[in-house]
Amino acid sequence: MTATHQGTAGGGATESSNALRDSFILGGRAIREALRTPDSLFPTMFIPLFFLVVNVGQAAKIFPSEGTPFLFGQSYGAFQLPASLLLSASFGGAGLYLVEEIEGGYFDKLRATPISRMALVLGRLYAEFVKTAAVATVMVLLALAFGIRIKSGIPGFLVMVVMVSLWAMVFAGFMQLLALKTRSAAATQGGSMIFFPLLFLTPNFVPRDQLTRPMEIAATLNPVTYIMEGVRSLVLEGFNGAAIGKGFAVVGVTMVLMLALSIRMVNNYD
Amino acid sequence: MPTNQGDLNAPYALQTDRPSSMSAIKAVGLKKTYSTGGEEVEAVRGVDLDVQPGEIFGFLGPNGAGKSTTVRMLTTLMTLSAGTVHVGGVDVAADPHGARRKIGVALQEAGLDERQTSREILVLQARLFGMRPSEAGARAQELLELVDLTEAADRRVKGYSGGMKRRLDLASALVHEPEVLFLDEPTTGLDPGSRITVWDEVRRINSMGTTVFLTTQYLEEADQLCNRLAIIDSGLIIREGTPASLKAELRERTGLDTDPTLDDVFLDATGRTRDRVAGEVKEI
Repeated sequence: MTATHQGTAGGGATESSNALRDSFILGGRAIREALRTPDSLFPTMFIPLFFLVVNVGQAAKIFPSEGTPFLFGQSYGAFQLPASLLLSASFGGAGLYLVEEIEGGYFDKLRATPISRMALVLGRLYAEFVKTAAVATVMVLLALAFGIRIKSGIPGFLVMVVMVSLWAMVFAGFMQLLALKTRSAAATQGGSMIFFPLLFLTPNFVPRDQLTRPMEIAATLNPVTYIMEGVRSLVLEGFNGAAIGKGFAVVGVTMVLMLALSIRMVNNYD
Repeated sequence: MPTNQGDLNAPYALQTDRPSSMSAIKAVGLKKTYSTGGEEVEAVRGVDLDVQPGEIFGFLGPNGAGKSTTVRMLTTLMTLSAGTVHVGGVDVAADPHGARRKIGVALQEAGLDERQTSREILVLQARLFGMRPSEAGARAQELLELVDLTEAADRRVKGYSGGMKRRLDLASALVHEPEVLFLDEPTTGLDPGSRITVWDEVRRINSMGTTVFLTTQYLEEADQLCNRLAIIDSGLIIREGTPASLKAELRERTGLDTDPTLDDVFLDATGRTRDRVAGEVKEI
């Protein structure tokens, strides 16, 4: 039997198609791994739902549906839902799984195969996309059961899930980057604390124009704000092109940055 | 072949003037320098290797001698600070993907994903070498039979014994029928029975035409398996030859009455003595 993988010799188009194919293969393995460790998925859903319930319980009376223009006639839960979805997207375990593979030697095994270095990065991120899409769908279905409506309908729901899942890839990608750099579970977990506050320097309780001035500046500088506003617009307003566009632009720019840094890191990994 | 006369601390001079295309592995002037805490550390200081197709070549050395670093450079897993390496005629620095298609690698830790089954691991590995799903499934079955893991094929690796993991690691290095198989301390931590099973597998793989590059700390293993071997210490090769020629050279040079063992050759080459080694063990 002869291996047929073309690697670098196959030209640009073949190389890209091989990279995608290999990413799907590695992603499939990571999904299987997630299904075999359901306990790792539990906090991904439970903690964001817990925060949703607590935040709504604490602030819903302050912001009644009637008389609160930024709710567009919905309950405060609808306003909070995007924050919970983004929190859920920030629980990706790709970095920690990668450290485990580095320590156990399996990462070297994969590096010794003639697959694109891009696939080594994208494999687990593809799995993060799928996992987040599944968890976000369940969370939205639960929200629907409690009377929250998605103003943009099913197409908007799909756009929302895609945006949140792509953000999960970006977040998990930066965690992978930390894992590759430090090769330490403790440092990778600690590093996530650098990114975690970004979720809270956002207009997660009230719209940006109602924040105090320092918080408004911080939120404006924080890229996560634009993803939250994009998702929120789909829940509350329908299709707001500007908000959705900014959300996807942030996801796109951070994705390119994360991939460029990750591939550089893998290529120089000794 | 080089002789082992003269200054034992000098870098061992190998004949490396054969064309790369004739060698399974050819390394010239291989160096690796690390920077740790602002200090430059030379882990490998100019290694030359010339391994012929079909050989089982042993690479021995004490802990920290540079064995694993050399293997990692030969297998594209580590960049070279200086020198060149050709594996199967392919320059590993210029065409790492080409080199990866020629080699199989089983490193010191049995690099396995313990949440998967052995069949899943082998199918995945085959898929990453470009095989279609049906081909990958068939190849996985062949390899499971080869390493006698068919009964455990659909159980997760987490529950496997050390010997089973080693055999699976070996099988996963063979999915694409590599020209050169690198085994980094393949029997470390195994019980004697499992060690002999791995030896049998290595012989069987070699008999099918695969060149084997083996690092080990067990001199008996090198003696049993290797056609030729090199001893590395402090980043330099200090002995190279067949086990028999190395023993004969030591006997002749030191005027021993009895045949020395490979242990004696190793201790002589690395400047260690049995007393010193025993003392070091006691201190630990």
